[in-house]
Amino acid sequence: MVRELLRRLHHLLHRRRFDAELREEMELHREMAARAGGPPLGDTLRFREDARDAWGFGWLDRLSQDLRFAFRTMRSSPGFTASAVLVLAVGIGATVAAFSSFNLALLRPLPVPSPQEILRFQRQGPDQYWTDVPYPAVAFYREHARTLSVFSSTTARLSAEGDEKPADAFFVTGNFLAELGATPLLGRIFTIGDEAPASPPMVVLHHRFWTSRFGADPGVVGKDIRLNGKAAVVVGVVTPEFSGLGGDAPELWALAQQHPYFVQGSPLLTDFSGQRNPGTTNMWGRLRTGVTAPAAEGELMALAAALRRTHPDDVWEGERLRAEPGGYLQSVGSKARGSGPAPRLQTRLYPVFAIVGVLVLLILVVACGNLGSLLLARGASRQREIALRVALGAGRWRLVRQLLTESLALALLGSGAGLALGALVTKAVLVWTEAPAWIDSTPDWRVLTFTIGIGGTSALLFGLSPALYVARQRTGRSRGRSVMIAGQVAASCVLLIVAGLLLRAFDRASSQDPGFDYHQTVLIEPALLQHGYRSARARLYLGELEQRLRALPGVEAVALAATPPLGGARTTTALLVNGRQLEVDVHRVDPAFFATLRIPLLRGRGLRTEEPAGVVVSEPLARRRWPGEEPLGKTLELDGDTVLTVVGVAASARSLALRDPDAVELYRVVTENDLGGVSVLVRTRGTPEAAAAAMGAAARAIDPDLRPRVSLLKHLYRDRIRDVERAAVAVGLLGTIALLVACLGVVGLVAYAVAQRTKEIGIRLALGAGRHDILRSVAGQFLPTVAVGLVGGIAGAAALAQLLRRQLYGVSALDPVSYGAAVCLFALAAGLAGLLPARRALRVDPSVALRCD
Amino acid sequence: MQRDEMPAGTLVLLILRVLRSGPLHGYAIAQRIHQLSADALRVEEGSLYPALQKILRQGWARAAWGTSGTNRRVRFYTITQDGLQALEDEIAGFERQTRAIRTVLRTA
Repeated sequence: MVRELLRRLHHLLHRRRFDAELREEMELHREMAARAGGPPLGDTLRFREDARDAWGFGWLDRLSQDLRFAFRTMRSSPGFTASAVLVLAVGIGATVAAFSSFNLALLRPLPVPSPQEILRFQRQGPDQYWTDVPYPAVAFYREHARTLSVFSSTTARLSAEGDEKPADAFFVTGNFLAELGATPLLGRIFTIGDEAPASPPMVVLHHRFWTSRFGADPGVVGKDIRLNGKAAVVVGVVTPEFSGLGGDAPELWALAQQHPYFVQGSPLLTDFSGQRNPGTTNMWGRLRTGVTAPAAEGELMALAAALRRTHPDDVWEGERLRAEPGGYLQSVGSKARGSGPAPRLQTRLYPVFAIVGVLVLLILVVACGNLGSLLLARGASRQREIALRVALGAGRWRLVRQLLTESLALALLGSGAGLALGALVTKAVLVWTEAPAWIDSTPDWRVLTFTIGIGGTSALLFGLSPALYVARQRTGRSRGRSVMIAGQVAASCVLLIVAGLLLRAFDRASSQDPGFDYHQTVLIEPALLQHGYRSARARLYLGELEQRLRALPGVEAVALAATPPLGGARTTTALLVNGRQLEVDVHRVDPAFFATLRIPLLRGRGLRTEEPAGVVVSEPLARRRWPGEEPLGKTLELDGDTVLTVVGVAASARSLALRDPDAVELYRVVTENDLGGVSVLVRTRGTPEAAAAAMGAAARAIDPDLRPRVSLLKHLYRDRIRDVERAAVAVGLLGTIALLVACLGVVGLVAYAVAQRTKEIGIRLALGAGRHDILRSVAGQFLPTVAVGLVGGIAGAAALAQLLRRQLYGVSALDPVSYGAAVCLFALAAGLAGLLPARRALRVDPSVALRCD
Repeated sequence: MQRDEMPAGTLVLLILRVLRSGPLHGYAIAQRIHQLSADALRVEEGSLYPALQKILRQGWARAAWGTSGTNRRVRFYTITQDGLQALEDEIAGFERQTRAIRTVLRTA
């Protein structure tokens, strides 16, 4: 077998010589046969080809022949080639860009050594989950685990001397940087030895922080930096290529062991309950060689059971640490604690990518439909050539193959251009979204494979049916074109409608009342827990703060909330309503909350501090939980053991889930335990900007060690709706491109129809038909096609919008304005596009028309 | 002269068989088969050369340029060790087949 293969390869490499020899041999044979008197029979060229085919390389000959011909054809009509490649590049480029982002977020591992060995762990009990793990538990697992090396990081904000903005710091275990393969640009990274109690306070700087804060000072190692007023020595700077985990890079790293030094009274190292954890502690592990993830999960489950013996209140019964792949960009989301099983991060992202995928595929459909009709039109003009080939004995299959090869050549060029365009767009998106510098958007093998696949698929999509039509010499029939035009119309219509919906969502988000007043509200986050304030001290502080704030001019109301509006962290609980799990946002607020944010109470009364079992539910929650019944006085059972009585019903105010029209919420009174984590909401009479500075000063005056963050709710709100704005811009761009391409298609269709009917139109005009009759008859030919496309587009958009519904800020998925506007815009554009060539029909001179072919 | 069509797959067998007696060029192979079959079998160019290429591909024969009796440059085919082995297998297979066909013809 191998020897035969070698002989065949040898033949392939020396085929020119072999071919010449074969020809000589066969000519001799023919001569001899002629001398012997036998009649010369058959076609020598054909015989030689047959003989050559014995080596099994005939297909290669035909392919290269076809390709050469295809490129020759393309060169001879550069205008057609250029427009085809351009259209295709747009379609393929959009899909490549979308796939590249998907690849970066979910498929491509982070640039750390052996990323597949890194796991992320979340706490999973029988009926609750936490995405974070208390630090002392992490330390316990780290000490005892044999199957993996455990490491963690805890988020914190430290005020750096001389900086207004607090610095984001990660308090990590000593092995964190080393396990992730960080390399120092200057100095060194942390080692396990640094965790010794006698170690001096030290930090490692992020490259970004080093350049912005220290002006890239090469002598920074050994210098002191003051954080929260405490001195620490800089031991190193990591290289800018270091990605860390989760794509969220801090300004600096410090040792978890030294957290209490920087944050006075910090309970981080001792709080097994995790309730007083001032930041978010994420736990990871690197598997030892040959260990599987389930084995590590098994060991950690046994360790959790062991830990529960000494800390029965803090470790849940049956608790296990669920492993998820940790070495990917999207392996970490924001902190979440809730009931039921933890949602898998990757699956949470799939709907987003599904929507993006559908949208970019629509662009590709438009591009392919457009190209397909172009090819059909060109097929019509190549009828003579095709007829000649058929007359010379070309088989239909051979013709189809030839035409498909031409499509493939086009797809090849289009894919190349699309790949370049896609890479460019990806790069632009990364810059636009301010992505970290280490993300490398250069296409990798996955993107290349995807591009080749998409290129081949689109070649079939736009090339197959024209090839069949042309080879059968039935280009006169325009069914194929109609289908392609309808497809283009439908796809671009979907894009326009979705763009319209997103625009409406952005408009609503920026102009409409989200159910609470954010215009005149200031948010003060004192971060008491981070500074070790226990409940009694926190109450004292907050009482003092409230008093001082109320004394300020222009302050109308002050409220406390452990779950401030537009905050990142959500606490949800699952309620069983009509057999279905309903996720409810749980707010912890004080009685003044409703008045401060101007959330109307529709029934009953507000919360009372002395009544912890009272609960205010939002109107949608009441409606869904007790449809048609009086909600007041009803009871709610939370997490199996807490029974609450409904005292009031508030209007819907989705202050934690702006976009989601289905979000429901309940409000419980804030308790002593929550005080360490509460924020203060202040409502001002005039503009909040002026008052905010005075509020910050007032807060700082009480305890100079605290550095409360003061922000305006309207700024937070603006940040939150920025992503809808971006989405609307991006989809709008796609929609516009699709509209243009589809209009080009309509122009082509009508122009072609008019050209074909020149004679008929001439006769009609000669017989006295009016211009309106002619226009009507031409329009009648393509109107049904466009109408079918529009209906298909509306149906498609309605289906897609169901997926989008929870991102639309309450705009209906069937919002008539968006649909109407998109359809009108499309009808107008397509009408104009059709009218342009149709007018030519009217200028037909009957005498000329009758003489043409 | 009656010209029978060659039974499928037997051409390679016949070529190998005539080559066993010594190296021959293409036309001579066709002639030899024609003569040996008492003019019954005629090998056309269109089937001879693909069959020869197949034999070369399998490594059952080697081709080399030489000079013919009439002083022409011709390509001689020489059977190889593998070719002899293949010939034996083919003959055995052919005989098995014809025996079976004969049995059917006699008894059916």
